[in-house]
Amino acid sequence: MRLIGWWARRVASAAATLTLVSILIFAASRLMPGGFAEVVLGPFATPEQQAEVSARYGLDRGVVEQYGLWLAAVLRGDLGTSMISGEPVTVEFLLRMPVTVELTLLGVAAAAVIGVPLGIVTAVRAGGRGGAAGRLAGGIGVSVPEFVLGSLVVFVFSRFALGLTIGGYRPLDEDVGANLRSIVLPAAVLAFFAVAVTARTTRDAVMGVLVEPYITAAVARGDSPFTIVVRHVLRNAAMPVLVVLTTITAYLLGGAVIVEYLFNLPGVGSYVVAAVGRRDYAVVQAGVLLAAAVFVVLNMLVDAATGVLDPRLGSAGEAR
Amino acid sequence: MTVLLHVEALVVEYGSGDGTVRALDGAELVVEEGATVGVVGESGSGKSTLGAAVGGLLPAAARTVAGDVRVGGVSVAAMTPLQRRAMRRDQLGYVFQEPIGALDPTMRIGRQLGHVLRGQGRAAVLDWLERVALRDPARVAAAYPHQLSGGMAQRVAIAMAMASEPALLIADEPTAALDSEVREEVLDLVFTLAAGAGTAILWLSHDLPAVAKRCSRVAVMYGGRVVESGPAAEVLVAPRHPYTAALRRSVPSAAGRGERLVPVPGQPPVLTGAAVGCAFAPRCPAVLEPCTVDRPPLVGDLDRDVLCHLPAPVGAAR
Repeated sequence: MRLIGWWARRVASAAATLTLVSILIFAASRLMPGGFAEVVLGPFATPEQQAEVSARYGLDRGVVEQYGLWLAAVLRGDLGTSMISGEPVTVEFLLRMPVTVELTLLGVAAAAVIGVPLGIVTAVRAGGRGGAAGRLAGGIGVSVPEFVLGSLVVFVFSRFALGLTIGGYRPLDEDVGANLRSIVLPAAVLAFFAVAVTARTTRDAVMGVLVEPYITAAVARGDSPFTIVVRHVLRNAAMPVLVVLTTITAYLLGGAVIVEYLFNLPGVGSYVVAAVGRRDYAVVQAGVLLAAAVFVVLNMLVDAATGVLDPRLGSAGEAR
Repeated sequence: MTVLLHVEALVVEYGSGDGTVRALDGAELVVEEGATVGVVGESGSGKSTLGAAVGGLLPAAARTVAGDVRVGGVSVAAMTPLQRRAMRRDQLGYVFQEPIGALDPTMRIGRQLGHVLRGQGRAAVLDWLERVALRDPARVAAAYPHQLSGGMAQRVAIAMAMASEPALLIADEPTAALDSEVREEVLDLVFTLAAGAGTAILWLSHDLPAVAKRCSRVAVMYGGRVVESGPAAEVLVAPRHPYTAALRRSVPSAAGRGERLVPVPGQPPVLTGAAVGCAFAPRCPAVLEPCTVDRPPLVGDLDRDVLCHLPAPVGAAR
């Protein structure tokens, strides 16, 4: 009963968040200077031509009415039609999702497989040799902008290709080898950042746990460092790490705009940014709303995981 | 009796450079097998550092400047990490002040105790929970630490410390965080279990009379040194060090009916290096000239000793 109530509250708050986002994104897209008609028809169109185009897409109606129609369509599962291509927005997104999903999976996998162990090892060894070097490397990893590292990678691998593809994308179902050769460099650029952030978060979380009295108690009982990490540290330090991995996932699913542009990948991020320039309202609205939905849903799952990982915050905690 | 623990002229400092604080300034302590020793001192006297040093549990910021700790005749500092872990596992048991914090918050009690019992099974877990007088062991085993009271959690911690029947149990203010009603019960439990297993107790406390009531020996710490030690009754009734005498008058449980409580005037010292003279000199009612210049010598024998330039004679009430 309590669990059902918890989920009901979470779903209600998620719905409220998404409604707010939908209003914001709709208002923002209509507030952009220069409407769809002006951008599509160019600077020399007559007011009559502009009015005709606006009427064709319903842009001459009141903003509130437009919002109402859009929201009703979205709730039916219809994200609208791209005003540029004439294709349904859903189709346009599905076309670009493989790139974004693949980049996301590779980036998050690297963060989990490399970043988490790296953070644990540097935390356990903190104070010893290599601690300062690890901190410096982590700091650099977090602060190097994507476009700097990405440009550097493009520059270096344009000269020494090593059989890798720079720019362009080959679908996975077409040719696995070619797909990997085209995705490995952009994925590595994203992974660099994801690994650095994850390693740093893991390190801080583990160091926070290592000073807890129950760790001292475990040391006093004669447990080995490995046993202590596996038995007591991992679970107690998991929460912030899970949050950062979720944030990275949601962030990358929203589209890795800079990397997509640098490596000329047909992903979701660059598509939505281009749509903003073309005033392709339906695409912009759908893109932002989907990204927000991903964030909200993933956060909800993390909240649920919190209760499982830490009994003090779960149903046992609520029972007090 | 055989000597189990020997702390020899131990000097421990925290930090480095200008920020150095000297927590132990030549501490001496002997614990014989099966003995019950109370170490008494104010906060900052160095008793917790002493307790941690025994198991090689000093934090990374601590530095052992001089002296030695020997457990069963072997120097803790000279042990390999593997030997040190074996010593902690087989010879030592620790009980800390904050019972709930000393248990992993994300693991059920039964599993935590089970780990210490090394696969002896659920029956052994329940048996131990019963031995530490926890009603409804099955329910406690299924609980998480935050669902227990402080007293219950401390009983669990005691079970975990005593499960390996260690040679020495180090209890660092084990009842300071507990409600007054359960303190005596918890202490009864510790002393009963230890007596049954032949475990020696090193009880770190600030309460001299409470310690003297249960321990065979008492060591009084001040400024990082053991300033007086001896059989509990003698130290309590006829203290030879002026600090012990002052400590006795400052605690409610020691004062007789109608007797006035006299707080020890002044503040305990924070040493940044070796104390010049006696660390207690600034607060001492009977201070002499050499007290501020020369470190006091050890007077007496191993059974009953005192660090003072003007110790009260043996057996005289101070």
